[in-house]
Amino acid sequence: MFPQLLLPHKYKTIGWIILIPATIFGITLLASNFHNIQIKASTFALVSDEFLGESHSFSFIKTNIAPTLAGVLFIIGALLVSFSKEEREDEFIANLRLSSLLWAVLVNYLLLLIAFLFIYGTPFLTVMIYNMFTVLIIFIIRFHFVLYGNSKFLPDEKHN
Amino acid sequence: MKNTIKIERAIMNMTQEDLAKKIAVSRQTINAMEAGKYVPSTVLALKIAKVFGKPVEEIFKLEKED
Repeated sequence: MFPQLLLPHKYKTIGWIILIPATIFGITLLASNFHNIQIKASTFALVSDEFLGESHSFSFIKTNIAPTLAGVLFIIGALLVSFSKEEREDEFIANLRLSSLLWAVLVNYLLLLIAFLFIYGTPFLTVMIYNMFTVLIIFIIRFHFVLYGNSKFLPDEKHN
Repeated sequence: MKNTIKIERAIMNMTQEDLAKKIAVSRQTINAMEAGKYVPSTVLALKIAKVFGKPVEEIFKLEKED
């Protein structure tokens, strides 16, 4: 009845286990301006260039993969959390999922619009880094807030 | 649209969780319907009516703005 492009519920837990450390790792990297943590490794690059250096394409390069690792793990974790079923996935939750996605895209672009208008120069690069992840972040926050935040204010009805 | 789910539930002495289990939805769904935040599909409305043993129109009623 509703689109079943969703993973089984257990993947949500796996998602959180990946997402939380990836978030901490990512924030640490951003806070240290990518200088503190260096993980040098050889990796395949479709395209690559060094700052004021030569560019490569379709070749193996040796580079700092810390940002890659943080980004990839964050995206995988966030996708698993976002697109796994709830324990009892039903029509209301499917509806909430869709409305949260709509909401997330809208809020994301409103924030980006404000950033475009009022942030210039190097700080805008930081905005772009955050913006790669904000759709998923906003979606996860809004979806869980509506789903679980609301029910917290309910009286416990078990002792009727 | 308004509904009398909460009242019917009280009459039958059911918790939100009891009703949720009977019609295979989450407790949040029952909560959202009772709070008037969610209008259920026809299928779900019929299932709820079946649990309470009443016609759908007795549980779900149109409001002026509908």
